[in-house]
Amino acid sequence: MPDIEPFSPRGMFHEGWTAEVNDYAIACGWALKGKQFIVGDVAGGLFAFEGDTGKIIWKKENIHSGGLLAMAIHPEGEIFATSGQDGKVQICNCHEGKVIKTLNLGKSWVEHLKWSNDGLFLAIASSKKVYVFNEIGEDKWISEDHPSTVSAITWSNKNELATACYGRVTFFDIVNNKTNQKLEWQGSLVSMELSPDGDIVACGSQDNSVHFWRRSTGMDAEMTGYPGKPSHLSFDDSGKLLATSGSERITVWSFIGNGPEGTMPGELCHHTEPISSLAFSNKGMLVASGSRDGSVVASFLKDDGNGDPVGAAFAGDLVGAISWKPDDCALAAVNAKGVVNVWKFKVRTNLFSKGFK
Amino acid sequence: MSIKDKVPVTILTGFLGSGKTTLLNRILSEEHGKRIAVIENEYGEVGIDQGLVINADEEVFEMSNGCICCTVRGDLIRVLGNLMKRRDKFDYVLVETTGLADPGPVAQTFFMDEEISSEFTLDGIVTLVDAAHIDQQLGRSDESSEQVAFADVLVLNKTDLVSDDALDILESRLRDMNRMTRIIRAQNANVPIETVLNLSAFDLDQILKRRPTFLEPEYPFEWTGVYDLDAGKYKLMLEEGPDPEMSLVALVNQGESEEELKDGAESSVRLYAEKANSLNPGNTIPYGEHINLKLEDKGNKSFIMNIEKPTKIGLFTQHTAKEFNMKVIKCIENKEIQFNTERFWQAEHEHDDEVSSIAIERFGDVDPEKLNTWMGRLLSEKGVDIFRTKGFISYSGNPRRIVFQGVHMLFTAQPDKEWGNEPRRNQLVFIGRNLNEKDMQEGFDKCLI
Repeated sequence: MPDIEPFSPRGMFHEGWTAEVNDYAIACGWALKGKQFIVGDVAGGLFAFEGDTGKIIWKKENIHSGGLLAMAIHPEGEIFATSGQDGKVQICNCHEGKVIKTLNLGKSWVEHLKWSNDGLFLAIASSKKVYVFNEIGEDKWISEDHPSTVSAITWSNKNELATACYGRVTFFDIVNNKTNQKLEWQGSLVSMELSPDGDIVACGSQDNSVHFWRRSTGMDAEMTGYPGKPSHLSFDDSGKLLATSGSERITVWSFIGNGPEGTMPGELCHHTEPISSLAFSNKGMLVASGSRDGSVVASFLKDDGNGDPVGAAFAGDLVGAISWKPDDCALAAVNAKGVVNVWKFKVRTNLFSKGFK
Repeated sequence: MSIKDKVPVTILTGFLGSGKTTLLNRILSEEHGKRIAVIENEYGEVGIDQGLVINADEEVFEMSNGCICCTVRGDLIRVLGNLMKRRDKFDYVLVETTGLADPGPVAQTFFMDEEISSEFTLDGIVTLVDAAHIDQQLGRSDESSEQVAFADVLVLNKTDLVSDDALDILESRLRDMNRMTRIIRAQNANVPIETVLNLSAFDLDQILKRRPTFLEPEYPFEWTGVYDLDAGKYKLMLEEGPDPEMSLVALVNQGESEEELKDGAESSVRLYAEKANSLNPGNTIPYGEHINLKLEDKGNKSFIMNIEKPTKIGLFTQHTAKEFNMKVIKCIENKEIQFNTERFWQAEHEHDDEVSSIAIERFGDVDPEKLNTWMGRLLSEKGVDIFRTKGFISYSGNPRRIVFQGVHMLFTAQPDKEWGNEPRRNQLVFIGRNLNEKDMQEGFDKCLI
C-alpha cells in the first residue's frame, strides 16, 4: 500500500466516477470517441464503462488463459485488440466486446500491440518475431527473428514499423517487405517512442539512460544519469518535448532549437515513489504522471521542459495505466487493486490550449 | 517494502542431466500449500508436473559500458515484471537455468533492476551436481565451476553411482571451491524441500547456525594420529596414494585431549611453515621437524621411527592415513600398532581449482571509511573474479552489526541486530577465482582500529 495520505482531487482535477475490475488493472483506453472506457486486468478480465458515468456496459472474464498482457484500441474506436500469455490475439468490437477474430501466434507471450495511425494495420510482437495483420485479422507480414525478445514496437508512418530489442532499433517497410534502417546501440532497450513526425527515435535503456537518434541526420545522443531504467517515455503532440522517467522524478527534454543535446532538461518532482505511467495530453503541453505511490499529477510545461503542476488526484494504489480522454476533458487512471478512477479535467481560465473546453 | 513482503526466488542451476527438473518436480509435488511460479529456461524432456510454468529463452543483456556487473537477464526482468502484478496468486518463484548459464547475471538481476529488487528477494542459489560427472565438467567449463562458486546449497546428486570414497574426495574439492555452501548428498534429487527453499541464504545467522565451523581455520595437514609406542624400532609403511610425496610432522609426547591436539596442531603449523627436508624410503624420521616423504616408488615404502623410551607419537600428515593406507609396524614382532586417537582437520589444500574461498575473521572494530575505501578498490580491481561476498562487520561506534552481501562488484551493507554482550568481530567470506588470500587479509587488517 502507498505511504501517502489519501487526498481529494485538486486543481484542475474534479470528481468524476470510479468503478472496479477484478484484478490488477494493466491496460485501459477510450473507445467510441470517448463514449466508452475499456479496462483490462492482469487475469484476463475486460470491462467496458460508459465514458461519462462509469456505468458498466459489458464485461468478459478470462479472455486469455494465463493472463492479459496488452490491449490496443483502434484509432477509430470501434474495435480493439488484446493479447496474452496464451500466445493469442483477440480482435473484438467495442460495442458488445464480441470477439471478431482470434489469432494464434504460438506458445510465446504476446506482449505488444500497436494499430497503425490510419488503423489499417495491427502490429503484434511476440518473443523474437513481429507480425502485422489487417483490421479483419488477415496476416500481412512477419519479421525474421530479432536478436532478442522484441521490447517495443511503434509505427513511424503508415507502412513503416519500428521495433526495439536488445542492441537495436529496426525500421521495416511492411508493404514491400524490406528493412529501411537499423540503428544499433549495445544496450537493452526497454522502451521506445517516436516523435509525431517520425524523425526522432527515443529509447530507454536498461543501463539507466535514454538514447536518441535523428533519422534525417543520422545523429545520435545518449542521455545518462537516470537513477533507474527509463521505462516511461512520452512525446507531446508537437514533438517539441519528450517526458522520460525511471524514478519518482520526470525528466523533460526539449527539442526546440539545438536541443536537447547540451541543454539542461526540465525536472518535475511531484511523486514520492517511481513513476508507473506517463502520458502527454492529446493536444498541448500537459503531461500526466501516475506513480507507485498512487498519486496522479498533471503538469503544464513550458518550452524548456520545466513546468508546474496544475492538478493532482489520488488513485488509491500503484497506478497501472493512465489515459487522457480524446478531448482531454478527463483523465482516467487504473490501479493495482483494480480500481478505476476517471476525473474531470477542467481549466479555470481561457489561457490554455484550445483543446480544452 | 520490507523483505518479508517480497516474494522469495530460488535459482536452480546445474549441468544438463544433473537432476534440476527432477528436483523441481519434487518441490512442486510436495509443496502443496504454496503456489509456486516456475521460470524455465531449459526445455527438458521431463515435463513439469504442475504449477505456473513459464518458458523463456535465456537472454543475457550486457550493457554498453562493458561492466560485467551490469549484465542482467532480460528474460527474468520481463517475466518477473509481469508476475509481480499477480503477486496475490503465487508466493514463491523458482528459476531453472540452462546447464550452461552463468549464475552471475541471474543473481545480479535481483540487485541491479530496481523494479525487480523492489518486489522480489533472492532467497538462494541451489546448484545440482552430477556426482559421477562433475569432476570432468569442472575441468572443462568455466560455467560449471562458477555454478559451484555461486551456490548457497550444493546438491551432490546421483551419489548411488559413485563410491563413498570418491564422494568424500569430491565433497572436499567442492568445499574447497566454496566454503559457504551447504553440501547435501542425494540420489535422484531426493533432498528435503526445506534444505533448498526459504533459505534466507543471505542471512548470516542462518548460515552460522547450520555450519558453525565454516570459518574454522585451515591447517596445512588433514589428519593426526596419536600412537602409544614402547621403546623400540618401528616402520611407517605407506602404499601408493594420491600424491608422489607427502609432508609430515612427528611430535613426541603428544596428548590426546582436544586441547592437547590443538596445541600439537599449533606447533605443527609453525613447523610446516619451515622448509621441508626430503626423506627417502628407508631413512629415519626425525621428531619435531617438517619432512617430506618421497613416495614415487611403486608398492610399499617404509620409513624408520626409533623410540628410545615409551611415548605417544603424534603424526600430523598432509593427507589422511587412509589415502596411503599408512600403517605403523613394530619391527621386531612385525605387528601393526593401531592409533589411539585420530583427528581430522579442515585442510588447506593446494588449490587445484582456480575457484576458491577466502575467509577473514578478526575480532575488534573496523573504521567504516577505511573499509569502504578498501572494499571499493578490491571490488573494482577484482570484482570480475569475485563471485560472492558474504559476511558481517563491526563498525566502530555502531551498536549494530553490519551485514554484507555481494555479487561481483555489487554489494549491499545493511545494519542488522545489535551486538549486545557478544564480542565484536568481523567475518567475511569471498568466493572467487585466483584470489590472493594474504593480500586480502593484510588489506582487511589495515582497516581494523
